Amino acid sequence: MSLSSRNAASPVAGEPSVPIVSSWWRRTGFLSAIWQAALVAGVCLAGWWLYGNLVENLTRTRIPTDFDFLTQPTGFAIPENFGFDPSLPIWRMVLIGVQNTFLAGLVGVLLASIVGLIVGVARLSSNWLVARMAQVFVEGFRNTPPLVVIVFFSFAVFSFGPLPVFPEALDLKLPGSDSNWLVLSKSRIGIPSLSAERHTGLFWIIVVCGVVAAAGVWIWRSRRHVRTGEPHHRVLWALGTLVLVVIVAFVTLGGPYDWALPARSENGRRLISGFGTSAAYLSLTLALALYTASHIAEVVRASILAVPKGQSEAAGALALSPFQRYRHVVLPQGLRIAVPPTINQYLNLVKNTSLGTVVGYADVTNLTRTSIGNANPAPQSIAVLMGVYLVFSLVISLLLNIYNRSVQIRER
Amino acid sequence: MTATVPPTENHDGGARREAPARPTARAWARENLFNNRHNSVLSVVIAAGLVVLTIYGARFLFVTGQWEPVRTNLTLLMMGTFPRAEQWRVVVQVYLLCAAVGLVWGGLTSSSRDRARDAGIPFSRARLRDGIRRWWPVFVLLLALLGMTRTWLPLGFVASALTVGVVARRAMEALGAVWRGPAWFFAGICALAGWQVVSGTGGIAWWWGSALVAAAVLRTTRNVRTDARWQPLARFALIAGAIAVVWAVYAQFDFSGVGWDDWSGFQLNLVAAAASIVLAFPVGLAAAVGRRSKLPAVRFLSVGYIELIRGVPLITLLFMGDLFLGFFLPTEDPLSKVTRAIAVMTLFTGAYLAEIVRGGLQAVPRGQVEAAQAIGLSAPRVLGMIVLPQALRAVIPALVGQFINLFKDSTLLSIIALTEILRIRESIHGQREFLIVGIAETLVFVAFAFWALAFTMSRESQRLERRLGVGER
Repeated sequence: MSLSSRNAASPVAGEPSVPIVSSWWRRTGFLSAIWQAALVAGVCLAGWWLYGNLVENLTRTRIPTDFDFLTQPTGFAIPENFGFDPSLPIWRMVLIGVQNTFLAGLVGVLLASIVGLIVGVARLSSNWLVARMAQVFVEGFRNTPPLVVIVFFSFAVFSFGPLPVFPEALDLKLPGSDSNWLVLSKSRIGIPSLSAERHTGLFWIIVVCGVVAAAGVWIWRSRRHVRTGEPHHRVLWALGTLVLVVIVAFVTLGGPYDWALPARSENGRRLISGFGTSAAYLSLTLALALYTASHIAEVVRASILAVPKGQSEAAGALALSPFQRYRHVVLPQGLRIAVPPTINQYLNLVKNTSLGTVVGYADVTNLTRTSIGNANPAPQSIAVLMGVYLVFSLVISLLLNIYNRSVQIRER
Repeated sequence: MTATVPPTENHDGGARREAPARPTARAWARENLFNNRHNSVLSVVIAAGLVVLTIYGARFLFVTGQWEPVRTNLTLLMMGTFPRAEQWRVVVQVYLLCAAVGLVWGGLTSSSRDRARDAGIPFSRARLRDGIRRWWPVFVLLLALLGMTRTWLPLGFVASALTVGVVARRAMEALGAVWRGPAWFFAGICALAGWQVVSGTGGIAWWWGSALVAAAVLRTTRNVRTDARWQPLARFALIAGAIAVVWAVYAQFDFSGVGWDDWSGFQLNLVAAAASIVLAFPVGLAAAVGRRSKLPAVRFLSVGYIELIRGVPLITLLFMGDLFLGFFLPTEDPLSKVTRAIAVMTLFTGAYLAEIVRGGLQAVPRGQVEAAQAIGLSAPRVLGMIVLPQALRAVIPALVGQFINLFKDSTLLSIIALTEILRIRESIHGQREFLIVGIAETLVFVAFAFWALAFTMSRESQRLERRLGVGER
């Protein structure tokens, strides 16, 4: 702690102007240096002692103390990614886990934001029933453990529940053809996906050019709007340009992508084509999205209430409709206030994807846990796992903080 | 959405002043449900949906729901593998804790009554109706539990425990202000005894008793003011003597109990959350103060700890605790599984508490510190006497919120195979007769148990927040 500054050399008016010189060992600078040196030394000693114990215990129990295991073969298949070869090294397994965590986190964040925004606005509805329903949603999910919600979705809704109870896998055929467009089995859900056919690289280059062109159109429309005052419709124009470019490129290149319809393997237990997703993934994402949405809804509500009432009244005086008032006046101001707490909620959601391990989703935590069960050293594996999450947290908070800075209202 | 200007909040109890004349039902419906065309359509659609949902819900609860797995395993869910022969300990504990809560509650009521009288404000005691409105989730939970028991014994138990609490509260209210101090002490003793009747008095249990006695001595001697230089010494001697007496008393007892390694079920969820937050408090306080320190090394260490812990999920820390926390110690894994889990949860909560406390510290106006320094208080005293009391008062609601989070997170203990309630629910479906029976029902029961407590706590903390806010203005 800071020590009271006894070495104030400037004499107070009225006192004899004799500089008060305290001995060097009582000066704040010296004392604080001593304090800090002692603290650092103590922490280092404690850390050294703990580390020494760890290494000693690991060697005693014949557990390796280095990170060589990362290059060893994984040794188990991953249910979520059946293309994964068990002989690939463990660091590849970690990457697959990171990818799965990212998928769950991304979709969860998007869903949670949409639901949270709707519910948050609904809580302030002038319709009593709507407001009450939104309140019930928020209070219901906010006060229930997320793990229980995930398990509920996984077991009571998907595996044993009313949703798909499929003792036999269920295929839904395309009308007039032999292929499926939907495959539902006990644990997996297959939907059509895109498969690369030809010229995909060129196609994406053209798409990037299209994005640049769309940005140009956007700028042109904005400038024109400023110059002439005509409505800009820049979203429409830019999107139109992009869609046009993409369609033209798709047709002229002769279809770089084609639909891959889901199909089952011979024994019916795997999907060999199409995009397969599992009940575990769905329950994890849905449960986390709803749980986080209840938190985001509260953030949204508080932020809207923080917008001065005069803003809404002034918009009303300009004859804006209630929707326009929200869209152009209240929400743009409220959502700025909402950004920092929402960042926290996103971070929580990404960290909570680790709960997918309970329902068997192959996220990075679950895979690490399985790999530890396969006699890989626990301390190093957990260190890698924590590193992964730290990177996730840092990247998310960095990106969103940059965004936050760009949307903050600049005070004059 | 057809939402317009936010209407007045409709859920708050304390904030409403004198209510205007109640509108008739017809006027109310026109105002709140059918005030324009959109809303009318919306109301009708939602009302229809609600009717269907209510019918389904009621059918699930009372007709189709298979509650037999819950009913058969109720004790298992609540207490898990706690030795059945020792159940009386929990019963006594509940009575003692009820008495403690009643005493504290009565003390709070009567002291706020006295304050109101001094300020000349009319004081009205909370009515039963308000109590039920505030606590209905807990009552519903109790009713659900009692509804599923097979004997009348639990009903008698709950009723008598509630009676003990109410009697204690009334007694505390009836006592004069002079007796309030000793009664606080008595409440502390009740809580402590409630803890130790289960956990026993062995080991380091006497620490808690000593802390209680020391606090009581400090408080009673606080107003004794002499100019004598030996006064601090005398107080110190008094405390040391009291601790020695406590220790001697504890040494006489040989009352062994059931350590927390044997606690499980819902009891474990509650105990793990409560123990972690209590133990994490000093950690969080230190880290928060360290983060605001002027010394770079202290600040750096605090920030490192806080950000590292907050950047990773609790489950990775729990794996660490489960798999190799014992490896950091020289002896061969001396800690039990529950102890390691609680240690890790403490570490985790400490970082979050630090951020909460930091918020409170930042809320203390700078002038307070400067004024304290101007009257010559040393740095620790500025912190302890001026800054912390104000900072901590401001963060009580956030602390309750953190406790709720921790309580919900205690379900994660199931992942490291501790038999808390979610794990026990899973094991119920390993019993042959319940393999695929009532899977949704057991989950609904567990979720409701958490919901009822968490919801009540969060609403009470919101109430507290409003009250504290009112006090500050």
